[in-house]
Amino acid sequence: MEIKINKTEEGKVVEFIGRLDTPAALEANETLAPLFEDASGTTILDCGKMTYISSSGLRIFLTLRKSALQKGGKVIVRAINDDIRSVFLMTGFLNLFEIQ
Amino acid sequence: MKLQTPILRKSVWTSILLVLFAALIIEVSSLFQYFYAVKGLKSEASLRAEGELENTRIQISDVLDQAEAALRNNMWIARWCLDHPDSLEAVTRRIIEDNPVVVGSTVALVPGYYKRRPLMAPYSYRNLDTGEILTKTLATPEYDYPSHEWFTKALFRERGYWSEPYVDEGGGEMLMTTFSMPVRDDSGKTAAILTVDVSLDWLTSMFGDVKVYPSAFSVMASSSGRIMVCPVQSFVMKKTIQDIIDSLEDKATFDTLSRDMLSGKSGSRLVRYKGKKEYVYFAPVERTGWSMSIVIPEDEIYSDIRKLGWRVRLLQILGLCMLFFIIRFVARNQLKYNNLTEKKNLMENELKIASGIQMSMIPSSDASFPERHDIDMAAVLVPAREVGGDLYDYFIREGKLFFCIGDVSGKGVPASLVMAVTRSLFRTVSSHEDSPGRIVEIINNSMSEMNRNSMFVTFFCGILDLATGQLRYCNAGHNVPVFMSDTKHMLDVVPNLPLGIVSDMSFQEQETMLYEDDAIFLYTDGLTEAENANHELFGEKRMLSVLSTRRDAKSQIEAMEKNVTDFVGQAPQSDDLTMLFIHYLNNDLPRSNVPHIVLRNEIGQISRLAGFVEEVAEKNGINPGTASAINLALEEIVTNVIMYAYPKGTEGFAEIKVRTRDDAIDFEVSDSGKPFDPTAMPEVDITLGAEDRKIGGLGIHLARKIMDAISYERKNDKNILTLTKMLNNHGNQNQQN
Repeated sequence: MEIKINKTEEGKVVEFIGRLDTPAALEANETLAPLFEDASGTTILDCGKMTYISSSGLRIFLTLRKSALQKGGKVIVRAINDDIRSVFLMTGFLNLFEIQ
Repeated sequence: MKLQTPILRKSVWTSILLVLFAALIIEVSSLFQYFYAVKGLKSEASLRAEGELENTRIQISDVLDQAEAALRNNMWIARWCLDHPDSLEAVTRRIIEDNPVVVGSTVALVPGYYKRRPLMAPYSYRNLDTGEILTKTLATPEYDYPSHEWFTKALFRERGYWSEPYVDEGGGEMLMTTFSMPVRDDSGKTAAILTVDVSLDWLTSMFGDVKVYPSAFSVMASSSGRIMVCPVQSFVMKKTIQDIIDSLEDKATFDTLSRDMLSGKSGSRLVRYKGKKEYVYFAPVERTGWSMSIVIPEDEIYSDIRKLGWRVRLLQILGLCMLFFIIRFVARNQLKYNNLTEKKNLMENELKIASGIQMSMIPSSDASFPERHDIDMAAVLVPAREVGGDLYDYFIREGKLFFCIGDVSGKGVPASLVMAVTRSLFRTVSSHEDSPGRIVEIINNSMSEMNRNSMFVTFFCGILDLATGQLRYCNAGHNVPVFMSDTKHMLDVVPNLPLGIVSDMSFQEQETMLYEDDAIFLYTDGLTEAENANHELFGEKRMLSVLSTRRDAKSQIEAMEKNVTDFVGQAPQSDDLTMLFIHYLNNDLPRSNVPHIVLRNEIGQISRLAGFVEEVAEKNGINPGTASAINLALEEIVTNVIMYAYPKGTEGFAEIKVRTRDDAIDFEVSDSGKPFDPTAMPEVDITLGAEDRKIGGLGIHLARKIMDAISYERKNDKNILTLTKMLNNHGNQNQQN
């Protein structure tokens, strides 16, 4: 799993590349820790190149979402594939995020 | 320590009994000796006393003979002189002059024999001081010789008469005795009595001084019982034996004694005098009727043996004391020895048990994978003693054969303990490490830390990938194994140091390939250094010649064992002997066993799941979308096990077994952690908004959603969760709901 964070006009864009399984989620949790603190703006989670997500990965999404909610920020999930979409469906995440 | 006291007590009692027995024997023999010695001393005392008595008797007789002879020799002159009375005085003088034993002599005429001289008794005597011979007459009115015993008794005794001893008042208080004989005239009428006086003073000094024993003394009494010789000078001639007896307590014994003595008998008698026992030896002088006796205190007869007796007894006691200590020492050693034998038997039993335990630590021949077609192996371990320091081990994990062989320095129990530790470490470390170098390093570090006795282990560890034939190995100072393909040669190994010497050392790992029918032969120095009676070693050359290519492992090992046994012969086995033969077959037969994967409780292990699921999916024709979902469900379940089933810091596993049915596939996830039933977890509410959503619980929710059925059971201390996925054309139907 590779994570790229870019600041654009839209906001902060976090690009996930590869499998966000449990070990990867543990690493990502540390990488994304600063984002949890600074969630007042718009955060775009770009999942175009993400092939797999586990509940640990979902947890990161949810934490970010909660943090943004508190600080008046916004989280957008972008470009999820069918497999991930079905996971979002099963967990009710489709309703929690703005999905583009 | 506990056994010490009974041994002491036991040895003391044994010793006392033996010493008492010895004392009894010694005492009995001493009594016999004493008895015979007493008898000997008694007879010696008798001999000495009787000898003295006889000697005295002879001397007395000699004097009396001389006196009698002097008288008889002058009888004819006296008879002749009867006609010349005035010459009678000369006769007496002549007798004295001629006979030194005679101190006085008289011719006393029978009153009235001469008409003119009614009494006539000229008497000559020797003045003992000057030696001058003096003469006087006994015919005085004061003396009145015809009334004296020596005169009256002799009148009727033709053979003469010895008078009672008497003290001569006239001439110097001498003890005297007189021999008198009648003198007949030609008509046969008794005319006079001729006498000779003999001094008995010499007798006092001679017999009185007889000292057969220091306190012995002599007594002589006349025929009337009057004391003649006696240590108490004042008794002489004043007292009789009867007088003395009257003053004694034990009168009866003395009565019979005096009767025997005075009646001329000889013999001996034991008497009691003033509380002491005394032996009285007595004998008569027949001619005069005197009785001689020697009195010897019994104490003195036996004093020597009594003194000796005490010394002997003292020596005996000392000897018995020494005997006691010697016996006790010996007995104690004997008992200790018995005790040691018991302990030895106990130890031997324990060693037998230990041997059994040790043998159970190494894989038995049944465990050498007879069901497998890719490997053929055999091993043997022969300890030189009950327990040994050699080890080998092997097992298959994830299609890889882990094996090792080792030799602990030294032999016997210490080596066996280190062997057990090494084997345990190998099992533990190799259950999760896949690198032989790493395995050896970890074992080495553990061993070095606890190695206080400077023992080391030569060790060879290998991992053979049964699918590919790749062999990775690491040698820690062990004998170089033999590599057998079309040829036989020693495996190329880096020697490295043995285990347990230096910690934190890195061990170089090596790699080679085994192809079908290749083999590796591992052994300990008990094989190459097996020694025969001539101190020749079995050696590598012999070993290599026994190994033959293209033979099964079991017969290779048996052939080697037979060869080395024949070579050693009667010589004792000097070292533990271990051999391990691994024959790689690589028969690519379809796997009959269930596909499965074992994951250690480290979160990184999750990454291995994807490949496994992919493989299973491919084989069962499951589409990638469903495979990914299955992967997710399994990941969630296994993550739970890894994170929560085992206490922090302990090792644990999660195993997944796959069973395929006609229309479904089962994944059985098992772990040995604490009991946990995920199916009993409450459903999460996925309709809640972001503020109210909880962070946890999603994993199990996902598994439930993805799988068609989930069942839990707790069996053999294991959590077993079976997840079932239906397999049909609409396999991903559920996940769309």
